[in-house]
Amino acid sequence: MSILELEGVVKRYRSGAETVEALKGVNFHADRGEMVTVIGPSGSGKSTMLNMTGLLDTPTEGTVRLDGQDVSRLSEDELTEKRRSGIGFVFQDFHLLPMLTAVENVELPSLWDTSVDRHDRAIDLLERVGLGDRLDHRPSELSGGQQQRVAIARALINEPKIVLADEPTGNLDQETARTILAELTRLKEEENIAIVVVTHDDLLIEYADRTVELVDGVIR
Amino acid sequence: MSRIAGALWRYPSLSMAWRNLGRNRVRTGLASLGVVIGVVAIASLGMAGAALQYQASQDLGGLADEVTVSPGEDNVEGALTPAQVDAIRDVVTDAPVVPQKTDSTVLRENGGVVRVSVTGVTNAAALYDVSEGEAPERLQSGALLDETTAAELDLGLGDPVEYREQLYRVRGLIETSGGFGGGAGRLVLPVAALPDQNYATVSVMAADGAEATRLAEAIEDRLNERERVVSATTLADIQAQIESFLGTLNLALFGIGSISLVVASVAILNVMLMSTVERRGEIGVLRAVGIRRSEVLRMILAEAAFLGVIGGLAGVVLSLGVGLALFQVLVGDATLVFAWQSARYLALGFAFAVFASLLSGLYPAWKAANDRPVDSLRG
Repeated sequence: MSILELEGVVKRYRSGAETVEALKGVNFHADRGEMVTVIGPSGSGKSTMLNMTGLLDTPTEGTVRLDGQDVSRLSEDELTEKRRSGIGFVFQDFHLLPMLTAVENVELPSLWDTSVDRHDRAIDLLERVGLGDRLDHRPSELSGGQQQRVAIARALINEPKIVLADEPTGNLDQETARTILAELTRLKEEENIAIVVVTHDDLLIEYADRTVELVDGVIR
Repeated sequence: MSRIAGALWRYPSLSMAWRNLGRNRVRTGLASLGVVIGVVAIASLGMAGAALQYQASQDLGGLADEVTVSPGEDNVEGALTPAQVDAIRDVVTDAPVVPQKTDSTVLRENGGVVRVSVTGVTNAAALYDVSEGEAPERLQSGALLDETTAAELDLGLGDPVEYREQLYRVRGLIETSGGFGGGAGRLVLPVAALPDQNYATVSVMAADGAEATRLAEAIEDRLNERERVVSATTLADIQAQIESFLGTLNLALFGIGSISLVVASVAILNVMLMSTVERRGEIGVLRAVGIRRSEVLRMILAEAAFLGVIGGLAGVVLSLGVGLALFQVLVGDATLVFAWQSARYLALGFAFAVFASLLSGLYPAWKAANDRPVDSLRG
């Protein structure tokens, strides 16, 4: 069964007087252990689709299912719970908090959860992405590649079923991008998760198990 | 800074708030400085009022506790009879009742001439404080003389003074008080020394101002049936009025101080709004990775509260210094600042600072927490 399913997802925005249809009936799925890349020209609705899959936004029409459960009509607080427990995010410009150390940044999503202590898992994840000796460094003391590795570890801290990445290599050089992608591929298998990557970067397609193209709000 | 953040790590909202404040220390410092000024204004003005109030009640002293019974407007003799004094004693059961006869005379001793008022009284101890000698509870012989007159006439303890061709030895020197009527020359003699049969006034020494007011009414009720033969007055009313005025003054001072704290909280509102707008993307990331709205709200409220606590504590320390100086100058005893009457303004200033800061943090926190992550991530 798919971890994530989009079924006939339509998203309309009201922009001034006119209505913009960013997604026009998208069908999409991602399974455990696979990396799917979503490509397409800018303005094709990639970001909107990522927002739908990341439960940051709800569709105007259609259904989004996470792990078999329809999440398309949940309230903001319920969506927050789903994001916290089931989804990891990796952003193009890393979005680490500057005043926290690497290990604190990784712990961040679980910080307010007093029932669990994920400190050991945070250290373990940083060691697995090769940053075992950078635990107490702040983002400003890390290179771009290192920062993105911290972000990847942060995405995995709550043992999500799916990780969403928005141009994860967009701010990295070719060589660093390759090592990051190799790590993502390895973690995908180790953690048995689905990874959905939205990108322009052809390099990512090499590492993907599957690639879909989004053009004008529909998957081709 | 980082040690505090470490200790707070298990209180995520506080820990994150503390770290966020540490990111821009100049801004944090300036925002807190506003609170410091507000607290100092509130606490100092409040304590100044408290010092004035304290000084005023010291000046009035025991005068307010005293009931003075004198002949009323319908009193044909113009004096109080022994029977009336007994009636007063019936009303007043557990406070000293001191009937007095009065006269005046001119003392001529050792070449000096001083006009003095003469009081005939038995219980001199209840009315007078002496600096030298004694003021007996039963004055049967001898005399008391006020210090100033004694000095002018070059008289000391044991020296004789003459009144109506009788000699009385000075047994005690009355302190020249700073209160009302303290300046005039006074000679105090046994009741028997004065020729009148009746008494000019009767003093009742009540336990406090409220008791004095109650006794004054009770005495008038008992002795005045149809005619106003006695009039019982007390300074308690005057003291109550003075205290009420000082209370109003204090409130006004406190209000003026509060204005500066209102200004400070507007500054905090501004700083918190700026900092949440700057961190919009970051807060979006927090929300995206599953931090709840309530958690973001608590984090930002904690930032505002920290500004209030930091500024409040600094303000209290500074105000304490101001208060010590105020009490030293106005009252002459700096340690009185620690009495609850004035120390409460420190507590009040601090509480007000934290409250105002939290209030200012409310809107920025609510705004940041309810920003949709989709929008805030976009920038």
